[in-house]
Amino acid sequence: MIETLAWLFLWGTVVGLDLVSVGQVMIARPLVAGTVAGAIAGDPIGGATVGAVLELFALDVLPVGAVRYPDYGLGAVAAAATAAGAPGALGTGVGVCVGLGVAYLGEVGIRAVRGLNTADVRYRRDALDAGNAAVVRGTQLRGLMRDALRSAVVTALGLGIAALVYRWPPVTVRGAVLVTLVLIGAALGAGATGGMRLSGRGVHLRWFAAGVLAGVAWVFVT
Amino acid sequence: MNARFASALMRTLLLQASWNYDRMVGVGMAHASEPLLRDLPGGREGARYREAMHRATQFFNTHPYMGGMAVGAVARAEHQGLPGDQVRRLRHALIGPLGSVGDRLMWAGVLPAAVGVGLVVMATVSPLAGVVSFLVAYNVVHLAIRWWALRAGWRSGPAIAQELTAGSIQRGLRVVGPLAAVAVGFALPVVADWLAEDFLVRTRLSIGLVAALAIVFSRWIVPTFGTLRFGLVAAALALVVGWLW
Repeated sequence: MIETLAWLFLWGTVVGLDLVSVGQVMIARPLVAGTVAGAIAGDPIGGATVGAVLELFALDVLPVGAVRYPDYGLGAVAAAATAAGAPGALGTGVGVCVGLGVAYLGEVGIRAVRGLNTADVRYRRDALDAGNAAVVRGTQLRGLMRDALRSAVVTALGLGIAALVYRWPPVTVRGAVLVTLVLIGAALGAGATGGMRLSGRGVHLRWFAAGVLAGVAWVFVT
Repeated sequence: MNARFASALMRTLLLQASWNYDRMVGVGMAHASEPLLRDLPGGREGARYREAMHRATQFFNTHPYMGGMAVGAVARAEHQGLPGDQVRRLRHALIGPLGSVGDRLMWAGVLPAAVGVGLVVMATVSPLAGVVSFLVAYNVVHLAIRWWALRAGWRSGPAIAQELTAGSIQRGLRVVGPLAAVAVGFALPVVADWLAEDFLVRTRLSIGLVAALAIVFSRWIVPTFGTLRFGLVAAALALVVGWLW
């Protein structure tokens, strides 16, 4: 149990760093973060399911410029930890609830880290303007450490919430099914909205519609 | 120069490590540029190195994968001995085009396309296959773009505009938009079928109704609300009803 929590904590911290600060190789996407977290917790299918639901929410995010965005990767880690072991659809809805909350906490954390980075570069303005390479390196390192701390704290909070929900489930079995179907529906709506937003109003929207029709045909044929 | 080029390439992976509201990725740009500036005349103690580093730390923002292009182009301009004002103008001129090309190519193109592929493979083959196919499809393009961007910037220097208007980039931009739209569109019904496979037809219709409401709400009624906030409201309502039920 402790070993599993330690691995989940480590995975969450790495996932949080990938979102902005290091590499952006997309292990922070919920479909990756959730599936791997589920595998660590012993339930890769449950992790993949909550990861896919959160991925649909994340499709609406365009991380351009200084835009604020939720940290769905950390949300997926907490969601997978919550959903692990629950049979069928029972864990999905409650897991995604926890995941959405943690994703919001991650967003708040990103704002805090950016504010602290801003204070740091203001404090070291003269040294940075002098082109001091050691100060540049130090500023980068401190930024990394702040983001690692953010990821670790949000992951720990998420795992704590998951443990509380596991110990004291907030809804009955019937309620858990209701929560699951509402959140799957909301996620599909969010994914469709994200797809339409990405496609714009022109010819790409027709490509999007063609994709939806092809997908529906695939579902009926298979 | 090869070791320094490799060092600069690795450092572009940390371009946003100290992202801040004053200089945005300016400090990250200086950190990535530093290996390419070390052999300016006078070395690390020389005036040209210090002036180049001073310029490199100033405000800059771009797409993180295309940042290497600015790193290479500006470092080449410094080596060519362009006056400081011209280097500054070059940096400012690169902000908009690099951000625009990177956002359209990666965030609105390759990323949703790879997500669509990953979700479909996850739903039809296995979760592990979905994760692997997504990571491979995405990162083959991602890492190639990073490598190409730094090389192109270093090769072209101040004449970097020709690289951005080259046929391959323009063709990529034309192809990747429709590809992303089709991939995401195709993935939605396939994933919906997978997520709802445990439910009866009546429950599946309920999921469809919630999805339709979500589209109407987040696309037309309150488009600025954001899908996370919509999800949180839906989750709170469902939890309350589920708790009372």
